[in-house]
Amino acid sequence: MLSRGLFDKLLWLALLLLAAALVVVVVRATGSSGPSANKVLDKAMERAMTYQSRVALIRELYGPVEVLLQAGQDQSALLKLAEIEKTYPGEAHGQMLKGSIQARLGAIDEAVASYATGVKLRGDYVDKENPLSWRVEIGRIVETGLQTVSARLATNPDNRTAKATMKQLYYLQSRLAGGCE
Amino acid sequence: MKSLPCPSFPRQHLLFAGILLTVVLLFVACKGEEQSNTVYRIGYMNCNTESETIARFGPLTAYLSEKTGLKFEMVTVNTEDFEERFNQGEFAFSHTNSLLYVILKERSGLKLLASEKRGQFGARSAGTIIARKDSGITTLADLKGKRLVFGPFMAPTGFVAQYDLLLRAGIDPEKDLAYYAVPPGSYKHEKVLYGLLYGQYDAAAAPALDLEVMTREGKIAADDFVVLAQSAIIPYCTFGVGSDVDAKVVAKVRKALAELTPASTAEFDGERVKVLKAAWVDGFEELLDSDFDPLREMAKRAKMPPYEEY
Amino acid sequence: MNWRDQHYWLVVITGFLAGTLGVLLAVWGNPENSGICVSCFMETSAGALGLHNNERMEYLRPELLGFVLGAFVSAALLREFKSRGGSAPLARVFAGVLLIVGCAVFIGCPIKLVLRLAAGDLTVLSGLFGLVIGVGLGLRGLAHGLHLGRTRQDPSGSGWLVPGLFLLLLVFYFVRPGFLLQSPYGGAAQHAPGWVALAVGLLLGFLAQRSRFCITGGVRDSFLFGLRAPLLWGVIAFVGGALLVSLLTGRFQPGFYGQPGAHTDLLWSGLGMLLVGWISALIGGCPFRQLVKSGEGDSDAGLVVIGMLLGGGIVQSWGIAATSSGVSLAGKVAVLAGLMLVVVATLFLREDA
Repeated sequence: MLSRGLFDKLLWLALLLLAAALVVVVVRATGSSGPSANKVLDKAMERAMTYQSRVALIRELYGPVEVLLQAGQDQSALLKLAEIEKTYPGEAHGQMLKGSIQARLGAIDEAVASYATGVKLRGDYVDKENPLSWRVEIGRIVETGLQTVSARLATNPDNRTAKATMKQLYYLQSRLAGGCE
Repeated sequence: MKSLPCPSFPRQHLLFAGILLTVVLLFVACKGEEQSNTVYRIGYMNCNTESETIARFGPLTAYLSEKTGLKFEMVTVNTEDFEERFNQGEFAFSHTNSLLYVILKERSGLKLLASEKRGQFGARSAGTIIARKDSGITTLADLKGKRLVFGPFMAPTGFVAQYDLLLRAGIDPEKDLAYYAVPPGSYKHEKVLYGLLYGQYDAAAAPALDLEVMTREGKIAADDFVVLAQSAIIPYCTFGVGSDVDAKVVAKVRKALAELTPASTAEFDGERVKVLKAAWVDGFEELLDSDFDPLREMAKRAKMPPYEEY
Repeated sequence: MNWRDQHYWLVVITGFLAGTLGVLLAVWGNPENSGICVSCFMETSAGALGLHNNERMEYLRPELLGFVLGAFVSAALLREFKSRGGSAPLARVFAGVLLIVGCAVFIGCPIKLVLRLAAGDLTVLSGLFGLVIGVGLGLRGLAHGLHLGRTRQDPSGSGWLVPGLFLLLLVFYFVRPGFLLQSPYGGAAQHAPGWVALAVGLLLGFLAQRSRFCITGGVRDSFLFGLRAPLLWGVIAFVGGALLVSLLTGRFQPGFYGQPGAHTDLLWSGLGMLLVGWISALIGGCPFRQLVKSGEGDSDAGLVVIGMLLGGGIVQSWGIAATSSGVSLAGKVAVLAGLMLVVVATLFLREDA
């Protein structure tokens, strides 16, 4: 039977050996090259690649819509969006494009609603540095919307539609202001 | 200690006050009773057929009765009879397209209640002029000497908006086209699109909403045709109310319409039905009368009612 | 007030520095009005460790690590580090989770509440009201015999575990192993330079351990001691410092609407902070104080910290966290359930008189 003193010494030795083993394992893993080295879990890289693929898919999917918009074919672009929405119903980018067309055509309430929906689905559109950033466009609709809807509310304070649009404008304004979402 | 004198109040005065109070209370109660017994009729403009109108708006009418506690009945009315029957007092509430609202507002004092939301422009829509992609027609100017099909004459986004678009582009539909037609019978809007797609006409006056709905349903593809022009967006279908209806009733109806959600149901024809789904509507909005001004301008330029000239 | 009391000045200086540095961290890159926010930092750190999958909330915040390690260094230097614990351990884990639930529904911890107020965000007023009421209710519960059990000296040394864990996390922060996530975009991508954030965290952790600085503690002491309470003056100095820097940097934008990281569901803001205040009073400090205490060897506080980390993952994964558009159904249910739990605890966990 081991005495306490001997047992303690053995434990200290075990601790030293384990610490040494840990150091060796880590040093070997970081220093090694070849196929085994590439098997290190790198979620960050996977995430980045997934994001880039999404950006590329969006550009491909909505490319025809952008072409129509550049040609001034707003209604055709809207119809194209309706077709894409059948296959990708929850896609935020479609909402943003729809919002921009609605804004151009003077449907401010609907534009604000579309932008708000898009931003709620994906916050990328309010980021300052993001390939998908729409800060400028959102800022524009917020500025325009606040002016026009406030004027409407001033003369019709009970107008429910205007109140609902105002709430969504404040939401977009809040998202543009920042915060940790 | 002397007590304060208690002023004597003649019994007759008390009796008189009591009778007066009772009369007032009875009057108020009766007024309430009268209101709850009143049947409010809503005239619904037939878009296509009477049976379609009943199926679409019957549940909505039942919902209004349930929600407000008042009695509502629906009356189906053809577009051309609407103004006359409204003026005869057959119904106090109206559900019409926006042009009919403008006509009734200008001529009969109709008040705006709520506007229907449907599609990408909410309570508004636009009129478009379209041609087949392979037709070679790419601008409005190319329409000279061509065949055009319109929707119903009284349709704001099926006729008025497009007629106005042509006039503003310097094309007189009465002179510069080969001819223009309006399909006969019901379902004119769908006949307009199919007539174009199957080559009966070179161009069509299509409501943007119809394009959107049929694209979503897969009946047409966005690539099948080209949009030559699109009007400004104007209000879509609208609830109106006669100026003599009690303001409290109006407020109740407006509130009930505003509170409709996709989950709202009503008892209709023996079953519980989703109101908005049955009506093909996304909800109701509160527009302002000034939102109808672009339509008024279009109607003036096109010399359509209520601005017709003879 | 004893103006010659060194401890009093230490508390005031700590509060002032916390307020000024809290706003400055936002100037230097942290999200707006979130220069210091324990709950937001917990959520993003939980994301970095893979405890939830919100891609926009993944970053191991060095400020958090600094709070614990700064407190550890302070306690070690002053020989105040004592491994202790054993008071209702599992309840404290749940308390930590619920603290984050309340904060997530409000969108911010009590420190962020003050920072938002100093930036002119008037939507926090209902949260402030809720926090004060919550602390009051917690005190009332304690006065009526609610007791989580005595904290005892812990010879097993479990008080070393949380500082040890945070030291490991600090190593992760510098080494960046592949499993550590970092958002390229979103709120978590906005951060002050790592060294600056860590230095601020260490400094504040150090000072907070020395001074016992705590927001809810200040509220609590104001109930108990009125204006004599040093912690109350610390909170006032915090507000003053934050307001001063907000004004100087042009970040003071008074109003209800359009505030960064804020919603207008005032009732739920109030209830969220009510939950936070109540629990904080029962467990002896706000989320920030729990971090500091865990650094000085309090394993009960350490369990709260573990609970908060778990809570950071849960509120994001389960959709409990509120956003600028408002409070979700899950958030409302979670706050109400949390309040019910606290009420039940207050009713049934009393010591017999």
